[in-house]
Amino acid sequence: MSISTALLNRLRDLTVARPRPKPLRYGLTVVVIAMVAIVQVVLFGSSAPWFLYTPAVVLLTLFLGRGPGVLATIISSLGAGLVVARSDLPLLLTPVHWSASVIFLLTTLGLVVLVEALRTALLDADRLREEREKALVVTAEREAFLSGVLGSSTDCIKVLDLDGKLTFMSEGGQRVMEISDFNDVAGCPWPDFWQNAGNAEAKAAVEAAGRGEAHSFIGKADTYQGTPKWWHVAVSPIAGPEGHPDRILSVSRDITELRASEEERERFVRLAENSADFVGMARTDGSLFYMNDAAKRLVGLEDADITRLMIADFFPPEQVETVAREVLPAAERDGHWAGELDFRHFRTGELIPVLYSVFPITDASGALIGYGTVTRDFRERRRAEDGMRLMNGELAHRLKNVLAVVQSVVSQTLRTAPDAETASENLGARLVALGAATDVLTGSSWRSADLHEVATRALAPHGSIGERILLDGPAVTLKPEVTVAFALALHELATNAAKYGALANGAGTVVLEWSVTGEGNDAILSIAWCEQGGPPVSPPTRKGFGSTLIERSLRSYFRGKAATDYRPEGLVFELEARLGDAATVNE
Amino acid sequence: MGQSKPIGSNTILIVEGEALVRFDMTAFFEERDWRVFEAEDADQAIEVLDQRTDIRVVLIDATVSGRMDGLKLAHYVRERFPPTLLFIVSGQAPVPQEALPQRATFLPKPFDLHRVMRQIEQSPVTP
Repeated sequence: MSISTALLNRLRDLTVARPRPKPLRYGLTVVVIAMVAIVQVVLFGSSAPWFLYTPAVVLLTLFLGRGPGVLATIISSLGAGLVVARSDLPLLLTPVHWSASVIFLLTTLGLVVLVEALRTALLDADRLREEREKALVVTAEREAFLSGVLGSSTDCIKVLDLDGKLTFMSEGGQRVMEISDFNDVAGCPWPDFWQNAGNAEAKAAVEAAGRGEAHSFIGKADTYQGTPKWWHVAVSPIAGPEGHPDRILSVSRDITELRASEEERERFVRLAENSADFVGMARTDGSLFYMNDAAKRLVGLEDADITRLMIADFFPPEQVETVAREVLPAAERDGHWAGELDFRHFRTGELIPVLYSVFPITDASGALIGYGTVTRDFRERRRAEDGMRLMNGELAHRLKNVLAVVQSVVSQTLRTAPDAETASENLGARLVALGAATDVLTGSSWRSADLHEVATRALAPHGSIGERILLDGPAVTLKPEVTVAFALALHELATNAAKYGALANGAGTVVLEWSVTGEGNDAILSIAWCEQGGPPVSPPTRKGFGSTLIERSLRSYFRGKAATDYRPEGLVFELEARLGDAATVNE
Repeated sequence: MGQSKPIGSNTILIVEGEALVRFDMTAFFEERDWRVFEAEDADQAIEVLDQRTDIRVVLIDATVSGRMDGLKLAHYVRERFPPTLLFIVSGQAPVPQEALPQRATFLPKPFDLHRVMRQIEQSPVTP
């Protein structure tokens, strides 16, 4: 600091010093002027006595104010006048001296006024400086406060110009947008950050803000590093000094996580909505508040207002009490109840067997807020169970029948066999044939048996099919009732052929051929067993059970004609029956 | 119309649709010198009953068909020939007591013919 500035500062400091009390100031004035007067008289005598007072007055006014200055002026004028006053003059002063005094008084007063103004200005300047300093502190604090707020907010707070170009982005905003240096994006058009629909919305928002309207939207925008995020944006105009928008404020909030959790929640809602099971929820008083579409379809409530329904309305009257007294309390107690109940269709009234599964719904603190159910339509299952029970019953019946037939075959075999060994052999072979027949039947759930297949299985133990035993005929489906007898008969024929007929030597063959003549149930089924190439044939002397069985049983089961012809070239057995009596006719 | 005396002759009517089983039963009784009449269904059975009035035992499979089923046939026999010994057999679910005619024995299939024979021999016969 230069010497003059230092001096000026010193001067200013003295000037703005606290005003001293009046008596002190005026007293000091008098003393100073008195001293000046003495000095003047001592040093300068009576020549121009006024000039020494001027600097004193100036200084006094500067340091002590206008009042003292005026007083000093008056006293100075008097003092100076006294110095040149002569008692011999009538006015005490010569006219020249009077004019000089007056001039001195006036100019000095003027000087006092000027100096006073200077003093005031200095005081004001000082005051203003102090105020400015205070204001600066306040402003600095406010700025620190605001930038602290902006900096800590995680929202991306941006200021755009009216063209939508970025002029400012908060610190927090730069963080969430993953921008390391704002200069990278300064001046860029803000809508460019947005994709697809968001871009159009951003542009529209900028335009609206220019018109003075606030606008908000949700859109997808990638950060500067490319991370995709979802934002909720609020765009509003910043009014300038005249009141028209001259800048735009854009505040964007990252809602990616919120959206993710909403999407997750939506997934659960969609799960319930799309489930094929009955999903429903009710309050603790039993009133319903949710049913998915599958639920409404199951009980015929497609377009109904479900909020007026109670849990009890879904069950038939005889089950309502069970539900209220046992099911719901058990669910509350154990956390779950599942069992077979019936729902009642709201339109038709029919009972719908269901697997009812109910559980309590609790809020976050564990208090009961209602009941939820995921219930499965059990009709198919019931039908399947009933069907199985029926089938089991049928199978049991058929089994008993087979056993009765076995019993008869055993009893008749034992009755006609000459000894135990023969009996055992015959019985064994017959039971095998019986087993083969039932195999074919079981394959079709005891509904039918293909003639060819029955013949193949019954005859296979006796000779290779296709070489020594030939089968030929159309597809015929035998009724279950005739199948067993047919198989047993074939077995007997083959056994006899192996003992006495075409299968006894190494060259003979057996042809089993059948044909259907005519149409529908009245068509004639003709079956023929022809042996050839075997040893010479002669009619048997005794007809064992086997031969009897062949003719009698086939005649009975097929309700047709059956006869054995002992031709010399080979035995021929023929059977003729109405197709409808022995077989099932396909459409 | 019905007789009141038990029938003394050893005649039996067997009403059974399954030929093999019927043959066996027929042979069983014939071996023991019984006179056996066979019927495949209710119609054939009634034909036989129309011709003969001295049949001592009637054995009916409840599952036979015809103008009536085996159980109805049994009731018919009981009404028309009160002294007849009635045996009802079936491979299906057992017939409950209330559905059977009076003094009829129900036997599930397969059943023991010897037991039937014993029961017949123990029942009173008046010449």
